[in-house]
Amino acid sequence: MNRAADQPEPNPLREGLSARPVPQPCSIVIFGATGDLTHRKLVPALYNLAADGELPPGVVIVGFARRDKGDDGFRRELEESTRKFSRQPVRDEIWKAFAQSIFYHRSEFGDEAGYKQLAERLEELDKTHGTRGNRLFYLAAGPDQFESILKNLKAAGLNQTCKGSWARVIIEKPFGTDLASARELNRIVRNSFTEEQTYRIDHFLGKETAQNILVLRFANAIFSPLWNTHYIDNVQITAAETLGVGTRAGYYEDAGALRDMVQNHLIQLLCLVAMEPPTDLSADSIRDEKVKVVRSLHRWSRNEIAANVVRGQYTKGTIHGEPVPGYRQEQNVNPDSQTDTFVALRLFIDNWRWADVPVYLRVGKRLPKSATEISIHFKKAPAVLFNKDLRDVNVLVIRIQPDEGISLRINAKVPGTSFRIEPVKMDFHYGTSFGKPSPEAYERLLLDAMSGDATLFARSDEVEEAWAFVDPIEEAWHAKKDAPELYFYPAGSWGPEAADDLLARDGRAWRRL
Amino acid sequence: MICSPATVARGEGYKRFMPATAETYSLGAPVEIGKIEHELKRLWQEGEGAMTRASLVNLAVYSEEPGSLQNNTQLMARITESHACRAIVIEADCKANDDLVSAWISAHCHVSSVGSKQVCSEQISFLLKGGCTTQLPNIILANLDSDLPLYLWWQKEFHEQVDPQLWTWVDRVIYDSHGWSDFHSQIRLLELMQKEANQHIVLCDLNWTRLDNLRFALAQFFDHPASHHRLAKISKVRIDFAPGFRSTAILFAGWLGAQLNWHIEEAKSPRELRFIGPTARHIDVELRERNGEPVHEIALTSADVEFRVTYADCGDLLEVSRTQNSEARHLQLMPAGNNDPVGLISEELIRGGPHRVYLNALNCVRDLL
Repeated sequence: MNRAADQPEPNPLREGLSARPVPQPCSIVIFGATGDLTHRKLVPALYNLAADGELPPGVVIVGFARRDKGDDGFRRELEESTRKFSRQPVRDEIWKAFAQSIFYHRSEFGDEAGYKQLAERLEELDKTHGTRGNRLFYLAAGPDQFESILKNLKAAGLNQTCKGSWARVIIEKPFGTDLASARELNRIVRNSFTEEQTYRIDHFLGKETAQNILVLRFANAIFSPLWNTHYIDNVQITAAETLGVGTRAGYYEDAGALRDMVQNHLIQLLCLVAMEPPTDLSADSIRDEKVKVVRSLHRWSRNEIAANVVRGQYTKGTIHGEPVPGYRQEQNVNPDSQTDTFVALRLFIDNWRWADVPVYLRVGKRLPKSATEISIHFKKAPAVLFNKDLRDVNVLVIRIQPDEGISLRINAKVPGTSFRIEPVKMDFHYGTSFGKPSPEAYERLLLDAMSGDATLFARSDEVEEAWAFVDPIEEAWHAKKDAPELYFYPAGSWGPEAADDLLARDGRAWRRL
Repeated sequence: MICSPATVARGEGYKRFMPATAETYSLGAPVEIGKIEHELKRLWQEGEGAMTRASLVNLAVYSEEPGSLQNNTQLMARITESHACRAIVIEADCKANDDLVSAWISAHCHVSSVGSKQVCSEQISFLLKGGCTTQLPNIILANLDSDLPLYLWWQKEFHEQVDPQLWTWVDRVIYDSHGWSDFHSQIRLLELMQKEANQHIVLCDLNWTRLDNLRFALAQFFDHPASHHRLAKISKVRIDFAPGFRSTAILFAGWLGAQLNWHIEEAKSPRELRFIGPTARHIDVELRERNGEPVHEIALTSADVEFRVTYADCGDLLEVSRTQNSEARHLQLMPAGNNDPVGLISEELIRGGPHRVYLNALNCVRDLL
């Protein structure tokens, strides 16, 4: 992946030491610093980078939040959570050095003066820590705060940089709740930061196997001739989780599975599977190809939606042998809620490569196991030789989580005098072949943002196109008349029967996970 | 894991050579040379419990040190924890009168870092007696895991007599120039070997690998473009090295020279080198021998700033600091890596790449080594 336009000439002493753009010293300002994301993901990720020697010297972390506390109190809280959530055990001496670069800035998100004080503090830190005016603003606060934060950053001049330094903003999903709100959010962001300064984070893209899709497709010549409508029968993408809504009901009630998962994560994965080869590995070349996939998604008319999209909601059931309540019985959920906790879609990509290849997406909560994977189902071999219809087709599976890896199912002759054919699996596990554990998605993505590499971040047009695809489905579901049915499924099952019917009608079935 | 005792009654099969955890380091089961593949299949068929055989590379180790078979087996047990490979461990006794080859097979099994799977790498061990360098190519070529690259770790000094065909198969040759008695003759042999292999062999010097973390720690000071001008103002370099590691320190100086376009002007004394920079500016390099890590501390002076990388007391971390006008700032801790063979080989297996920078560094200080 390439250097961003605002990246300088390389350091001659780096030659041969790094196979990636080099991150630069900067101040990372986290808005929503007392929240879950900061404690569970961001700071543990930064600590791991520091422990692995990947964090540039002089990086400072400034937590920005409303609660009253000081630097030391903030550091103590972060130490506790990092010890709990870090990928690798926390070493006292490394934490001690790392913690010296953590600061807390108390302010309301809407308080203009708080941002002016922040600017002064960052200037001071530039002098003491050598961060040289580089700023990375991480919006880990609720989306309702984005406008206020962005506006005030601009008012304090923090979106501007002097020559040779940079300011970037990382935005956490949701990137709006529909096309109109996404456009509005993009407008708000653009008022303060340019598109090149904006990094919309989708942690699925930071996962090793998601990145490996590009390598698998474009560094292995054997797949290229097969990767099209002539050889692929269908594509399935599943993101299943055993968890229920938990403490996220406040957000989830309005969002539902389609907005929470399909609009971003699943469509992003689909783009990596379906995109054309980019002209180079620069962020924009890759994102240009991805956005073409989203634009090519067939838009169902309102009448067609019920036949191609299934929504479901879990009822009480059992997970891992334990009884669990139904969605409507969960805390802070409306007892008559119509929110989708499961979605299955049948969609088509209307372009030359993928014409008539159905893509089935499935996402759900309280399913029997937690797993995210992409499976490419190839067409059957002609059945003329072995005097029977081969039951099993070749399937290439890309496992995103857990147990990241790739497997290929092929047919083989069972040893013996007869021609009995059975499927066998060739399996590659990251954890087995490469002893080194993969870094957490946030580690990779934070480093990319510090390096100015936006390849694994979503661009505004990708986000808007994805909403343009999702919006008609949401509108049909919320129509007063003839809204498609909300199906119910017991927790611990693979979703409503209607989801199976979606494939059965085409003579297909979901891959067993 | 490995394998258990060195001998086994044929009827007992290989179960005892595939225990669940590694405790001992024996060579495993003796096998006939012509039946190694066959016996390896049996090893996997008869092993107990769920195991996955994994291999990303053929890693052959050659040594003429008596007892090296056991020592290298121990190293392989540790290396395979993070680098699944087919290990081919060879001990040669070139002075023996009669030609003889003995072989053993075993497996190193570890619980994978992800999940609880047993991941196993196989090892084939050979004891060569007599005309070892003539036997060597066939022993290695006949026992490769097909389609995987071949890394040959040659311990101590190279020989002139090795069959050139071997080098055409080797992807990376790993050695440690630190232990060489005659640097120039060894380098000449390596260059000859490269020529025979049409230049495709990558030279991997563990003496260079030992500098990786120090180079990384020093390089990061100059990542910001505003600090690039400091490189052009470096006037003094101090390298503290442990007794016996002068060549490591010189390689480090060579790296700075090659990357910053300095040329050796003179070796003023064994302790002082003088480089000349692009603008005819002099850079003095002080080499200071003292006890500690192979290269214990580096200090670069550029105008009023000193950049320093030094080993922290705990040994596996580097303290990285920048001092301006005698005021220390930016104390940072970074991983120091391991200087033991397992750490160095692991680092080498992770990095890959062509090592062009190493060759440039070497050429910059070649006459001093």
